[in-house]
Amino acid sequence: MARQTPAERMDRMIARLLAKARAPITAIEAESVSKQRNLPVVQFMPGLRDLPREIFKERVRRNLQRRATMATRTQVAPEQHASATPYLSVRNAAAAIEFYKRAFGAIEMTRLVQPDGRIGHAEINIDGARIMLADEFPEIGFKSPETLGGSPIQISLDVQDVDAWARRAVETGATVVRPVEDQFYGERSGQFRDPFGYTWSISTRQETLSTEEMQRRLDEMARKQSDASPQPERQYIREGFRSITPYLIVPRAAQLIDFMKGAFGADERFRVNRPGTETIMHAELKIGDSMIELAEANDQFPPTPATLLLRVDDVDATFLRATEAGATVIQPVADQEYGVRSATLADASGNKWNISKPVEGNTIFRDLRSVTPHFNPLRAPALIEFLQKAFGAEEVYRAQSPDGVVHHAQVRIGDSIIGMGEAHGPYQPVPATLHLYVPDADAVYERALRAGATSIQPIADQPYGDRSGGVRDPFGNRWFVATHIRDVA
Amino acid sequence: MKAQANDVEERLLVEAARKDPAHFTDLYEANFERVYAFVSRRVHSRADVEDITAEVFQHAFEHLSRFEWRGVPFVAWLYRIAANAVVDRWQSLSRESGWPAMDPPSVEFDDTEIERTERRAQLFRNVAKLPAEQRRVIEMRFAEEKSIREIAKVLGKSTGAVKQLQFRAYTKLREQALKDFAGQAGGRNG
Repeated sequence: MARQTPAERMDRMIARLLAKARAPITAIEAESVSKQRNLPVVQFMPGLRDLPREIFKERVRRNLQRRATMATRTQVAPEQHASATPYLSVRNAAAAIEFYKRAFGAIEMTRLVQPDGRIGHAEINIDGARIMLADEFPEIGFKSPETLGGSPIQISLDVQDVDAWARRAVETGATVVRPVEDQFYGERSGQFRDPFGYTWSISTRQETLSTEEMQRRLDEMARKQSDASPQPERQYIREGFRSITPYLIVPRAAQLIDFMKGAFGADERFRVNRPGTETIMHAELKIGDSMIELAEANDQFPPTPATLLLRVDDVDATFLRATEAGATVIQPVADQEYGVRSATLADASGNKWNISKPVEGNTIFRDLRSVTPHFNPLRAPALIEFLQKAFGAEEVYRAQSPDGVVHHAQVRIGDSIIGMGEAHGPYQPVPATLHLYVPDADAVYERALRAGATSIQPIADQPYGDRSGGVRDPFGNRWFVATHIRDVA
Repeated sequence: MKAQANDVEERLLVEAARKDPAHFTDLYEANFERVYAFVSRRVHSRADVEDITAEVFQHAFEHLSRFEWRGVPFVAWLYRIAANAVVDRWQSLSRESGWPAMDPPSVEFDDTEIERTERRAQLFRNVAKLPAEQRRVIEMRFAEEKSIREIAKVLGKSTGAVKQLQFRAYTKLREQALKDFAGQAGGRNG
């Protein structure tokens, strides 16, 4: 037998030990200890036989780490939200990954390739944002935007410097959907479509805004837009008119026109007489920002004089001119406790004119046009309810005394206000005639009938460019509901 | 002094793990070898040792809030969990195998037993500290139960070279053990 090296001698002992069936460990240990003096190294053998596998230790550690992560999510930080990761289906995932690397500086994290060469799963990281993607698998319904003809999903990418990112994306081959601009919601952003059909909204936050502030800015923007460009909606009103125009059907119409010119500086815009007569069939006068229409009353159209609130710059001067033009005084000029300086006059045709100017800081009459029709119903709530149901009116103001009397109320229809105060003293209900422009005359006409009005003129296209019809409301007022269709020279 | 310092350190580890479960792995690292040694001294199949060891740490992880500090080291709590797990395993094994008569392994542990367990755990840690090739040889030879020939093939070395690595590893482990337990060898093992 050849002379054994210590290494070989030891290996033979180890082999012997390992070949033995495993006796109770303590017995082996006792045995080995007894031989300790001769072969002290053997002391370690039984222990080594139980040496843990490094891979096992690692597996348990990872398992605990995973549990710790789950525990952290569910217990320690319950407010931590779930994560959602976009998963893109693309026609050529390898090319897409290359594109995202160059365009967005993406880092490839994972790529699993199927036996057929297609990328079954890949993960990239764009400046900390996780994106998953794979080649499309149309056979299982995993289709790319190229196959589907577009994607409704947009990926929002928040970055430090949107302009630099946008430049790089475009240089790499992305197309501009919307150039980079400051947005009302406090971000500077733009939209870009990649060659694989996905749209990326890239943005950089500039201000931190509350939702309320964002909504306010959005509303403001919408208003500016509607002011800047003529909105199709507004075209249902004939040029120069408002949603509501009082229509004065009165005796001595021609005289009334002269009065309005002299007293209020009205501008006669249009007049047509009944064929073969000197009586006015239809006239239009402009006062301030409003229009007044009038016609001579006759058997078919009995008089419906109106009460009108007339907003003026100088109540005293207007009062003087009106009285000189023949008006009779119902109430002389006075400062009213509700914040206006006003006077009330009557003309020879039976109309009442309340001329007023709100004092500074008065908000109640702030939104009134130059001419505002005014009613004196017996009960204001009933009239308001009808106006709401029939014309979509919105109640904007109501002053009511403890006993329930409505002294003053305002409703808005379209761009106009109607004022009212319940009947008292000389101010008793007098049916009026009004011309109301609405976006859809047919629909409003029907609504008015459903709300309790009766038809006095079926809806039809009129030679003067409106489509209109007439109804009488339950309080005796006549409404000509119209939608302007075309301008007639 | 050293024991006190370790005490404080262990206490901090437990507190950290209670606040953030991610820190439990520090307790795991500090105690893995001990628990594995404790279990392996009582259960013979490697698969069972691994199962029970994993169970012990999972149980400890889930019930860390129940651990009460009463001057008992954290590892004693782990040993208690391990002892219960060993008995459970033994009972379910006897039921399955139909050997109700077999005596269960002793799960009692006195100071001597704890010291032996500690010594074995220290051996495991010392193996982990060996130079990479020596460590790999010991691990393959004992933990993976490979022959010298197989190990030689895996490492691309001659069988003689593998035996040499094995011998050097042994020598180093022995030297380290004598240092670790200077003055303790002998007497207590008898």
